[in-house]
Amino acid sequence: MIILQIILFILIAPLLSGLITVIKNYLRMRKGQSILQPYYNLVKFFYKDEVISETASWIFRVAPFIVFSSALVASMLVPVFIFNRPILPVGDFIALVFIFTLGRFFLALAALDTGSSFGGMGSSREMFIASFVEPALCMVIFAISLQFGSTDITAFSGLHPITVSSVVAALALFLLVIAETSRIPIDNQETHLELTMVHEAMVLEYSGRSLALIELAAYLKQMIFFFLIAQLIFPIGLPLGNFVQVFLWSLWFIARIAVIAIAVAVVEVNLAKLRLFRVADFLGFAFVLGIIAVVCSILGA
Amino acid sequence: MQGIILFLLLASTYLMIIAKRVPALIRGFRYQSFFLFLATFIAAFKENQVELYVVSVMIILVKVILIPYFLDLTVKKINVDENLGLFVNSQLSLALAPVFTYYSWVLSVNLGFGQGTLQSAAVAVAFSVISIGAFLMVSRMKAFTQVVGILIMENGIFLFASSVSGGMPFFAEIAIFFDVFISAVIMGIFVFRINKLFTHIDVNKLSRLKG
Amino acid sequence: MLNLLIERFFLFDPLALFFLVVIFIISLPSFIYSFSYLKGEYPAFKIFSAQILLFVFVLSMAFVVSVSNCLVFLIFWEIMSLVSYFLVVFDTNNERSIKAGLVYIVMTHIGTAFIIAAFMILYNHAHSFDFIAIKNACSVMPQRTKDIVFLLFLIGFGTKAGIVPLHIWLPYAHPQAPSHISSIMSGVMIKTAIYGIIRFVIFILGINTSWWGILVLILATITSLVGIIYALMERDIKRLLAYSSVENIGIILSGVGLAMYFISLNLSYLAVFSLIAGLYHLINHAIFKGLLFLCAGSVYKATGTRDMEKLGGLIKKMPHTAVYFLLGAMAISALPPLNGFVSEWLTLQAFFLGAFNAIGGSKIFLGICAAMLALTSGLAVACFVKAFGIIFLAKPRSHYAESAKEAALPMRIGMLILAVFTVIFGLAAALVIKSLSGVSSSALGIDISNMSFFLNSLRFAPQIAKNTYLSTPLLALLLVLFSVIGFVIYRVFGNRRAVIYKTWDCGYYKLGPRNEYTATAFSKPFRIAFSFFLLPYRKTQKIRESFYHIKSFTYETHTTKVFKKYIYNPLFAFMLKLAKSMRKMQPGSIHLYLGYIFITLVLLIIFMERF
Repeated sequence: MIILQIILFILIAPLLSGLITVIKNYLRMRKGQSILQPYYNLVKFFYKDEVISETASWIFRVAPFIVFSSALVASMLVPVFIFNRPILPVGDFIALVFIFTLGRFFLALAALDTGSSFGGMGSSREMFIASFVEPALCMVIFAISLQFGSTDITAFSGLHPITVSSVVAALALFLLVIAETSRIPIDNQETHLELTMVHEAMVLEYSGRSLALIELAAYLKQMIFFFLIAQLIFPIGLPLGNFVQVFLWSLWFIARIAVIAIAVAVVEVNLAKLRLFRVADFLGFAFVLGIIAVVCSILGA
Repeated sequence: MQGIILFLLLASTYLMIIAKRVPALIRGFRYQSFFLFLATFIAAFKENQVELYVVSVMIILVKVILIPYFLDLTVKKINVDENLGLFVNSQLSLALAPVFTYYSWVLSVNLGFGQGTLQSAAVAVAFSVISIGAFLMVSRMKAFTQVVGILIMENGIFLFASSVSGGMPFFAEIAIFFDVFISAVIMGIFVFRINKLFTHIDVNKLSRLKG
Repeated sequence: MLNLLIERFFLFDPLALFFLVVIFIISLPSFIYSFSYLKGEYPAFKIFSAQILLFVFVLSMAFVVSVSNCLVFLIFWEIMSLVSYFLVVFDTNNERSIKAGLVYIVMTHIGTAFIIAAFMILYNHAHSFDFIAIKNACSVMPQRTKDIVFLLFLIGFGTKAGIVPLHIWLPYAHPQAPSHISSIMSGVMIKTAIYGIIRFVIFILGINTSWWGILVLILATITSLVGIIYALMERDIKRLLAYSSVENIGIILSGVGLAMYFISLNLSYLAVFSLIAGLYHLINHAIFKGLLFLCAGSVYKATGTRDMEKLGGLIKKMPHTAVYFLLGAMAISALPPLNGFVSEWLTLQAFFLGAFNAIGGSKIFLGICAAMLALTSGLAVACFVKAFGIIFLAKPRSHYAESAKEAALPMRIGMLILAVFTVIFGLAAALVIKSLSGVSSSALGIDISNMSFFLNSLRFAPQIAKNTYLSTPLLALLLVLFSVIGFVIYRVFGNRRAVIYKTWDCGYYKLGPRNEYTATAFSKPFRIAFSFFLLPYRKTQKIRESFYHIKSFTYETHTTKVFKKYIYNPLFAFMLKLAKSMRKMQPGSIHLYLGYIFITLVLLIIFMERF
């Protein structure tokens, strides 16, 4: 089961990113990439040489592995097929957040390692955004855990009634996920302009297989967060007996995440990137939504 | 008899209050000590204690003869203006003195020595001597008065101790006398030095040294 | 005879033993470290006296946490403060050390004055200085007195611990002391103040009202936020670490405050749990802050400067120190699977669990406090990315950094010991929690025989919450496993060439050290985001050759020291004014002084008669 989940995640994550790009292109009325483009990119990266800066130290080389591994461990925490107990008692929602922080920490260090100004800029901005994501995320986790009884992710997997509190929490989580996965209006994944890039600035010096690992980790992170939002809004539990049911369940899983992806794409197309110092306001709004979710759950709605 | 002596003691203290010049102050101190000697002598006679005789002899020697002589010597050596600088003029001081006496009489009554007995009178006189000595220290400018004021206060304490408890232990008395003598010597030296350094012994001018 | 002495004056209950463990875990590596740190800087006699002072310091702290008599406690508290003062001003040629020592000694004595006042009130009620006797007498103390004593203790111990706004001595004293002393001061000495709070407020006074816990929680949250925001702005390594200590004291106090709050609500499981979280963070912070200070000391000794803006690229010159600093930075940023992560997780869990059992308003309050804790945790990550990145990575920014050499062996051993502890305390979380539950229950006086604190099946009483899980060894194992898998993928698939060349930087190719990011630049977004609090101001100066050609441009930015400017400076100015006005009473005249004495005597006699 575990291995199946991991393989499923790794296989589907780039597809998700491709889906978002396809929808954005459709909305912009362009003929753009195919939906499998991320896969082609990853394969391409594996076959290219890698150039490592001479200023960089072992941190630069080690960071991709740590980022990748943190994304995989996080995917182990998320219950897709088994939802009354965790697959392995490794951690809960809070641990998930900290695991992603681990990845971000090393990526930021690797960016500073190369000694280029872009790297420093990327780290600085990324850390700024991450600091303000944390309290809002904590509030969302708080609201969810108040609703469902514990901070464990399995608590809200499976079937549960959809309440106002969980919808508002999902909305707040949506805003935060935009920040975490570096989408407009926080960050632009399609640009390499100094003015507008945050995550891309951090990975600017990476190339070749390391870049592939980092990109894959980013896709995985995106998918995990989308899954969490989907789980809040469209919860369904299915009995998993035979292979057919597993297959159906996987399709339903993909369908839910696709809906979230479409929503993200629509948001990306319609908004412009925010100034860095306005990002704090944006995240503050997510924080307030989190508080509203808590209030709703107290009031019982 | 003892009442008269006490009265004379008080009178000599009043003399010191109105003194305007240094020799007058020392003279008054001499009279006071003499009357103290008389009082101690009569008490020794009454109680027939050898120790008290010895103490009274010491009073005469030290306080009536030696210390005033030494103070006079210092005055001549220093050659200062004999005027005792007065913060509070002598008429006002004399008017304040009965206030002190009244206060000490009230105190002695409240301390439970009874009214009208010799002991209560002695205690009252003792306290008034002490407070007048303190007053002298505060209200006169020259450094000499600080010295004499201490000596007066010591007289008053001695009187108090002997009227309350029949004197202090003998050796304590000897030691105290010796202490007093030595401190008088030392203070004399200090005054001499102050004069040498500042060419005056006006303690009031020391206030220029404040920070 | 010795037995009697020990029985009469010492109390070795689990809380004291725990603190003794903390003290010795940190002091031993610092002691080993100090051998090569002090060598060559000072004459031999001074080094010898430094070691003696260190020994006395550690011993006095050990006595402070284990005595059971108020007077003896005060004696050793004072010894501890004085000896640490001497250690702070150890570098007597440095003017800043002396100023730091002055600020430190004044603040610590203000705190001690409050503690003495509290002791006096307690003595008044209990007529004994012994802790147990006072504890028994406190059960019948009126609530108003207890409130006053609580506030006195809070201010007194808070000055030593570094609660905002009493924290100003920390950024002065900790940078100036020798690094191994800073590590002991930051790691252990401020924790003795927490010991004081736990011992006197929770154990002795006993908690009946909930506003105590709420006050401590609010103070703790503010402290941690203020601490980390100032830490982000710093460019002096040790001052950054000192402010970060302030932040972590805030986190520890959140755990303690929660425990107080839960006791007053009679939620015994949650109280024990929160105190476990607080104590765990205490020992974790001692370990990783000690480690960080030792690393900062190695950097200072190797390069001669504490200024981050002049360093860089040290990871190639001081590889061991870099690894230890990285471990310390990871631990303090609460990254799994190290120890900081576990204690932050526990504290957050304590907030969440508490919110289940609280009523409406306090749910929001606890939630907001938890969110602020998460904010400080995020800011701490940023702070230590900056610290590690600017000091150790990229190219050296000045000649100071270019001539650095790796630290000597004793220093490395000291750092290694603490780094190993960091990892152990993270992986062995379940064991640590089990032993801490014993400590916690004895401090709170709650029986835990039917509660379970197993980390991988935190099974609460069913009406509190459902289960939740955390297992650090498993986490560590998985992380390592997956990184190995990643590495395998890396090696196996695709083209294997990796070329080492200049940094790409979008094709610029002329990168020098001046192009690198600076520490001030790194924290600029934060400076702007928190500008309402930091009140930054900048000075720029342009020198022009002509209207179009600017020859040089100087940019300086500072943040205002809010607490110093708006609280302490006015306070000092007022006190100086008061002192000056009292000068009028002292004109220097002997007669006046004598007059004062006699008038006082007279008045005393009169009033004595009245009574």
